[in-house]
Formats: sequence, structure tokens, C-alpha cells
Amino acid sequence: MSTTQGTISASLATRLLGVFSRPQGSEGWKSWLFTVDHKRIGIMYGAAALFFFLVGGAEALFIRLQLATPNGSVIGAGTYNGVFTIHGVTMVFLVVMPMAAAFANYLLPLQIGARDVAFPRLNAFSFWCFLAGGVLLTSSIFIGGWFQNVPDAGWFNYAPNSGVLFSPHKGVDFYAVGLQITGIASLVSAVNLIVTVLNMRAKGMSLFRMPVLTWMLLITQFLLLFALPVITVALFLLMFDRLWESNFFNVAAGADPLLWQHLFWIFGHPEVYILILPAFGIVSEIIPTFSRKPIFGYHFMVASGIAIGFMGWGVWAHHMFTSGMGPLSVAAFAVSTMFIAVPTGVKILNWLATMYRGRLRFTTPMLYAVGVVSMFTIGGLSGVTHAIAPSDTQQTDTYYIVAHFHYVIFGGALLGLFGGFHFWWPKAFGYKLNELWGKASFWVMLIGFNFTFGPMHILGLQGMSRRIATYQASEGFAFWNMVATIGSFVIAVGVAMFLWNVFSSTRNWRRVGRPSVGPDPWDARGLEWMTASPAPEHNFDSDIQVDRFDEFWHRKYGRDEKGKIVRAARAEEIAHDGSNTNVHLPSPSYWPLVLGVGIMLVGYGLIFNLWIAALGVVALVGAIYGWCLEPADDPDTAHGHDHAGRNSLEDEEAITVG
Amino acid sequence: MGDANKRRDVYKSNYITKLGEREVSRNLKALVWLSSLLVVTGAIALIVVAIVLDDNHPLSTLSPVGRQGRDIAALINPIFIVAGVIFFLVQGAVLALWWRYRVSGSESGDGEFGYYEDGEFPEQIHGNNRVEIGWTLVPTVLLAVISVFTLITLFALDDVEASDEDMVVTVVGQQWWWEYQYHLDGNTSTPPDIVTANELVIPVGVDVPLDIKSRDVIHSFWIPKLNGKRDAVPGRAHDWVIQSEETGRFRGQCTEFCGLAHGYMKMVAVVLTKQEFAQWRDNQITSADMPQEGTAAHEGWQVFSQQCASCHVVNGITSATNRGGSGTEADTWDIYRELSGNDAGAYLSQDTLVAGAAPNLTHLMTRSTFAGSWYDLYLNADSHLNYLDLPENGILNRVELEKWIHNAPERKPAAADELRGMPARSSLSPQDIDNLVAFMSTLD
Repeated sequence: MSTTQGTISASLATRLLGVFSRPQGSEGWKSWLFTVDHKRIGIMYGAAALFFFLVGGAEALFIRLQLATPNGSVIGAGTYNGVFTIHGVTMVFLVVMPMAAAFANYLLPLQIGARDVAFPRLNAFSFWCFLAGGVLLTSSIFIGGWFQNVPDAGWFNYAPNSGVLFSPHKGVDFYAVGLQITGIASLVSAVNLIVTVLNMRAKGMSLFRMPVLTWMLLITQFLLLFALPVITVALFLLMFDRLWESNFFNVAAGADPLLWQHLFWIFGHPEVYILILPAFGIVSEIIPTFSRKPIFGYHFMVASGIAIGFMGWGVWAHHMFTSGMGPLSVAAFAVSTMFIAVPTGVKILNWLATMYRGRLRFTTPMLYAVGVVSMFTIGGLSGVTHAIAPSDTQQTDTYYIVAHFHYVIFGGALLGLFGGFHFWWPKAFGYKLNELWGKASFWVMLIGFNFTFGPMHILGLQGMSRRIATYQASEGFAFWNMVATIGSFVIAVGVAMFLWNVFSSTRNWRRVGRPSVGPDPWDARGLEWMTASPAPEHNFDSDIQVDRFDEFWHRKYGRDEKGKIVRAARAEEIAHDGSNTNVHLPSPSYWPLVLGVGIMLVGYGLIFNLWIAALGVVALVGAIYGWCLEPADDPDTAHGHDHAGRNSLEDEEAITVG
Repeated sequence: MGDANKRRDVYKSNYITKLGEREVSRNLKALVWLSSLLVVTGAIALIVVAIVLDDNHPLSTLSPVGRQGRDIAALINPIFIVAGVIFFLVQGAVLALWWRYRVSGSESGDGEFGYYEDGEFPEQIHGNNRVEIGWTLVPTVLLAVISVFTLITLFALDDVEASDEDMVVTVVGQQWWWEYQYHLDGNTSTPPDIVTANELVIPVGVDVPLDIKSRDVIHSFWIPKLNGKRDAVPGRAHDWVIQSEETGRFRGQCTEFCGLAHGYMKMVAVVLTKQEFAQWRDNQITSADMPQEGTAAHEGWQVFSQQCASCHVVNGITSATNRGGSGTEADTWDIYRELSGNDAGAYLSQDTLVAGAAPNLTHLMTRSTFAGSWYDLYLNADSHLNYLDLPENGILNRVELEKWIHNAPERKPAAADELRGMPARSSLSPQDIDNLVAFMSTLD
């Protein structure tokens, strides 16, 4: 009874308000705002992450300028604290995580032979929510004057220094609110992608036929699913402390500041694997392709990823060896940390074994992938030296740590993600980035990287502390700091060369009439190459039957009677050309964007004025209602990429919720 | 339509004529190989030089002189070597695989279109369980061995060797300087016998137990040449121990980010012979004398009592009246008992930032540095001048001291308007400052 009534009143509302029809078409900028296509969402994630990468990079250059000489006075101590804080927050939450999300969104459905993710509108919401959080966090740089209200208590934000008493301006509020918002985005996305992988794989694609990248992304989503609630709790408590004078971290009222540290690092250490595992997956796709061999020890690669995923939860307190938590805890976490090096080492060795006796083609993606193997090894080795708890009391909070995690996050995660950009660029856009520029930018970036972060090992061992705004000439840190600063600008040149490559490759491609590079430009192995480039909106023209790991490669190559590998078919013959226009796809929707904007307004409202938050709540609740009440699309109409049909108001009988 | 095809052909042929470019790129490759080899070798050589020249690094962890520091170095140095070997093995393997199995440029057909060629395939090896198990077990065993040594050292570092000194020093971090409260009888529940700032003076060869606390945010106490660091966490008291096998001055740095002037929060451990230490201790126990009336020092005291004594204590002279209290003469130590007892109440909120929350200046002139050890108090302190002779033979860094008194936030970042750090005293005349310095010069 009530259902019928609900349907009637909803359809009445739909008639009264035209907005309850769904947006149409897949051309023009508006279609990007309302898209629910996982590929477009992936591309927007990538573009946003690249933008934030430039912001975070600029911040890094200011850090390096300030530290280039003793008694630096480029930026003051206060600004310096804000800059290094927002640099860390930006690079972790707004660059590496969304860049990995870009690959997860774009590739996961393609790699498992699905049409889209399980919940396309939720997927769009994840992106807008992430962008809302990113914009909010980044706006702290200039709101109320440059660096006047920027978070300045470090990305780790230890209590009680993050309290109102010690950080009275609104910076830490931005941190607490902004990260909760990006957290919602990641959490929603994690659920979405887990359901996608578990439920939407092509016929015959058992879990152990999934590409390594899909596996690593799946593990990453599980880590996100369990880690984000922990940081959310911590941020929630912090927000109440700062905005409404609760006492969770108020030592004067009996709080123990170590509470924040435990909460932060229970999230923070799995976060490290959240950052690195997608890059491991990317490397595991690139190296086999350009070695012309399958990945060595597939099951061990997957198992070591799972092992990292589990062990990653038992090592968080190695960030707290000097916090005074007692020798027994220190001993336990020292040992657990030591052994997490084992599965990581297994990965490195498997990559080397994949290259062994392969036919290695050093294209740009391959250079980046091998760069990861080489650079991550350095970060891994220095990581083991941190597990030696007594020695860590000398190294922690020095530049040795800064060196270590930049070798892991830049040398591991970012180089891997950049390799991924070059590798899957033709799939996403239909043309390759120029190889010469690509290789040149790689080498410049790699050399700059090593000159920037290599010397930091030495500086750290020579006793230079982290997060110090300057140092004295008599401390003997000047030489290597100058080297590092020069190196950082070399990285900047490398990044500029990458951007120029994107620009000029695109321009050249447009000039010659936008030819497609073909479905499989690298002679690769995964299902994502079994469709046209750029991948059509509906991904595949028909369902794919998967019979083995590396299905696509096995369709291209077979063995002759002598056992020699011969080509069975060319990629163009097997790959779907995207011509099937009779595929039903979910329609675009206004509401994910509106919901994201609503959350952003709530965020600003919490920081500045609750009336803004009230406005945000109106948008938020309205968006949820709109989301529920908007009509499902006409199931009888095709929605391929050239679908021009429109949604008539008569469709609203088919209202669905969810 | 045909136009587009034509353009595409032109584009393709352009690419093919780029074959010449490939020759260039092959030469380039050789160049890159050579230069990268040079770079790597050069870098390693530079690192070796850096370590050899380590003398110039007063905060270096690589040349410890403390027992604990040496134990740590003895543990980590062999591990550095093992890590170095693995580093060279892996990087060597990467380069060797690259060199041995690479396919040359023309064969790799890196065109913009139609990428692949149907060349030979290598053997399609999917894996090898024995190899996998092998390279899982070998590092596991290696790490197990390392963890045994780690645990042995870890627990050994907590030991305090007995000595004839009972002394325990309570170390209190505060934005942005360190206070040391000496309990000569080792009983931290009674008022300290000596209260000093920034420079921790200890006798050589003695394990000095530290009791590390904080009044505001988390700091970390670290004298790299003597021992690792230990956080100073408000509301908690952390045991730590410090020892030096050699006399000398060893610099330290707060190493937990503690807000605005974190980088400027330094300290020094001064290691004296046992005799010198006894001499230093006997002097520190004494109170200051009121300067004689009519002298510049006495004029300075007048200024001090109005401008400085609401935060700074000089034992024997400053009193409760100076901190806006009830006006009754109070034992200086009461203030400390109030502010930095051994309970969680050691935490200072904004409301309680009163006298005693700034460095005790009773024996200011016996220290070689001031302002959180950021500035030298004596211009010749780094020469071979004996630490105990500083008040007598040191050349006072008068210019910097006067600037500091006049406008401290300009000389070192501080949030003085939030009562964190020393506020400016711009209203003081040059005469006032001269008198103040005259008064301070009596505090030896």
C-alpha cells in the first residue's frame, strides 16, 4: 500500500520538478559533471591528482628553498610548518591515493571484463566527494591570507600540539574536516570496488585468474575499508576537541596524548601499503608485457600481497619506538616490522625473475617499472634498518626517515603510477605519449629524485632533524642540503617535461586527425587490451569467456607442433571494436555532484559558520532524495556511446531506489 | 576523409624517417649508461668522503661517544653493511638483466602505430616453487638473526650501571627550551637541588638516569653522540639514561615537532670530569646575591624585577611578589613544586604560565648558550676554554644578548602573544638594557 503511495507521490514530484529526469548525452563538459562512467571518473581522478601533484610539488620546492642554506629566510618558521604539513597531506591524500584510484576506476572493470563498477552513481559520488575534500584542504592555503589558516601541526598532527591552545588558527580544523571528507570518498569507493571485483568478474575469471594489478587493488580496497574508520574516529575526536571543547586529547583534563598516536598509526601504517600496493600491481603488469614473459610466481605475487595486507596491521607502533610505550611493546613491534620485509622482498625478486631470460624492451613504462624495482629496494632496505628499534631511536624524526619514505612513496608509488600513465595512456585516449620525451622525462626525474633524497640519508645520519625550519652553519648540513635543493628542481624539470609530453603528444595526435593507436599497442596481456582504444563507453561488445590467466595473450599466441610460440591472431582480430551500440548502460546523474557539493558546504560550515553547514545539509539531504527518486533509465533503450535517445517523463514509472 | 589518411601516412613516414633519430638515441643510450655509472660511482665516493669527514658534524650519529650510542652503533653498523651488500646485489641484478636481455631499439619497434613484431619469444616460465620458498626462507632467517641481536641490545639499553652518583635529572621540555632539575639524592619526589636550562651538565663515565617530561606539547630529548632520543610527553614521565665516555660539549636538538620554533629548540650536554662536575654542582646549589645599591647591576635588578621576574626566577632574589601572587615571601622551590611536580599536573595550561615557566637564571653566566641554545652566550666558547672558566674568561656575546632582551621574537620565532616564548621588551631604553646586562653578569 505505502509503496504504491510512495511511487505515486514520487512520480508526482517528478512531474512537478523537471530535475528528476536524468541528464543526457556523453558530449561536452556537462557530461563530465554528471557522468557515472568508471572510465571518465578514472580520468577525472587522474587529472585531479596531477593538479594536486603540482600543488604539492610547488610546496616541496618552497621547503627545499628554505633549507638550501643555513639560517634560511625564504619563508618564515610559521609558514614553513604550514608548507611541510600541507605538502605531506597533499601528496598522501590528494595525489598518491587518488592517482591509484584513477587506475582502480579505469582499469578494474576492464581487467575483469565488466561493463562498469557495481554502483556507478556511488562511484561518481566518490570522486566528487574526494574533490570536495581536496578543494577544502587546498583552500586552506589562501583562505584568510596566504598560509594564515593552513594546517601546521604536521601530517601526523600529534596531540596536543594540534589542539586549539597550541594551534589557534583554523588550519587543523581544515585538516580534521577535509580528511574526514576524503575519507568518506575512499571508503565508499573501497566498498564499490570490492563488490565489483567479487561480483562482476567475467565468466570463468576465477580469483586466481585475475591480473596481479586487480589483486593488489582489491587488497588495497580492503585495507582502506578497515583503516579509514580508525582515522575517521581520530579525526572526529580531534574535531570535537577543537570545535566544541571536548577533552579527548586535553592532557590537563587527564588525556594521554599517545591515544592520538595509536589511532593515527593504526591507520597510518596500513596507509603506507594503500599507497604502495597499487604501484606494485602496475609494475606487475608492465614488466611481464615488456619481458614477453608471464609474471614469475603469480601465486606468490598474490600471496605476498595478501601477506603484506595482513601483516601491515601488526606493525603500526614502529612509528612510536621513542614515544615511551615500554620495551616489551617496542620489542614486539620491532620483530613484526622486520618480517614484513619478507613478502616485499619476494615481490622484488619475482620481478627480477620475470625479467630473467626475457626479451626486455625498455619503453617508457618499462623504465618506470624497473625504476620502481631499483628505487623501492633502497627504501625497503632503509626500512629494515628502522625496524632495529635501538637504532631507530637515533634515526627517527631525522632526515634518514624523510629519505626512506620518499624512496618508498616517490621511488615506489609515484614512479609506478607514472609508469602506469605511460602504459595505459593509449588505452584511455587512443594515442601514445611520445617515447623520446617519455624516456627523457623519466631519466631527468630519476636523477633529480636521487640527488634530492639520496643525500637525505646522509643528513639524517649526521643528525639533521625533520621539520626544522632551518639549521645553523656550524651543524655541517649545508652541503647536502644544497645538493638536495638542486635535485628537487631537477625533479621539477622532469615533471615539466612529462607535462610537455602530454601536451605535445596530444597536439600532434590531433593534428594528424586523431587516429587510434589500436586496441593493443604494447602487445600486452590483460583483458583491458581486448577492446578498442580509447575504451568504448560500454567496455566490451559482448561478454568474455575467460579460461586461463592472461586470457588475452593466450588468444593472441599459441604453440605450433614443435612447441614454438606462434601468433594465432592479431589483436585487432580478437579485440572488440566497440561497435555494439545496443548495450544498456546506467544513465548519468546530477546527484553525486550535488551530494559532493553539499558535503563540502557542511565542511566549510563546520569550520566557519554553522549556517553554511545548514545550507550544506539541505543540499545533502536534497541530493539523497533526488538520488533515490530519480528515474532509472528506460531499460529498452540502447545506451551505447552514440546513444541519442532521451529520457521522456513517461519513464518515471520505473523509479528505483539505490 | 582521404585527407586524414594522407596526413596519417605523412605522420607515419615522418616517424620512419626518425630512424636516424634512433641512431642518435642509441648513442644517447651509451652516453646515459656511462654517465649514470659515473654518477653512481661519484655519489658513492662522495658518501665515503662525507663519512670520513664526519668530524664537522656535531650532531652525527655515526661517531658516538656515549656507551648507549656506541651500543647502538655496534648493532646497526654490521646491519648497514649487510644492507649495503643486498643493495649492490639487487642493483647489480637489475643492471645485469637490463644489459643481458635488452632488445635493441630497432627490434623493439617503438612506433606510434602497430607496435609489436612477431619476433622470438623467450621461454614462458611461470615460476618455480623451490626458488620461491628459498627466497622466502633466506631473508626470514637473516631477519630472525638480526632480531635476536636487536632484542638483546634493546633490553641492554634500559640498564643503568651503578655508580657513586645517586643523581637523577628531571628533564622538562617546554616550547622552545629545556629545563633540567637535578635531584642529587636521586629522589624525584622532593624539590630539586639545582634548576638550570638548556645545558645538561653531567660527569664523565657515569650513567645519569633521566626522567623526561613536558609542560605543554610533545618534545623529544636527543643528544645524538650520547644516546638515541626519548619523547617528552605531557602527563607522562619517561625513563632514559645518558652517559659519555669522553668529556666535551655535545649538541642536541628537540626531535619531535613541537610547533613554531621546533627547529630552534636545541640543547647541549656538557660532560665534565668528576672533579669539575663536583665544582660545578657546588656552585649551582648557591643562591644569587642582591647587587649592591647604587651600582648599574642594582639598577638592572630594578628593571628585571619589573620586566622579567614574572617569568624568570633567580634563586634568592626573586620572590612570589614578582609573579603577581599574594605578596608573601615564598620559597622559590614552591613554584617548582606547584608547576612541575611528578604527577600529571606537570602539564601547564595557558592559565598557569607564570614565574618559573621560563629558564631559571640564577647561574646564567655559567652556561655557554642562551635562547634554547640557539645563540652562544660567549664568543669564544667553542675554543678550548674550560667550561668552568666561562664566566671569568669568556667574551660575552653582548650584542646578541641585548638584541634578545630587546626583541626576542625577532631573534627566534615565538608566539609571545599566546604566552609561548619570550615577549619583546621594546619599551626598554638602551640604558635599561645596559643595566640589565650588568645585573645578569653578576649571575655566575
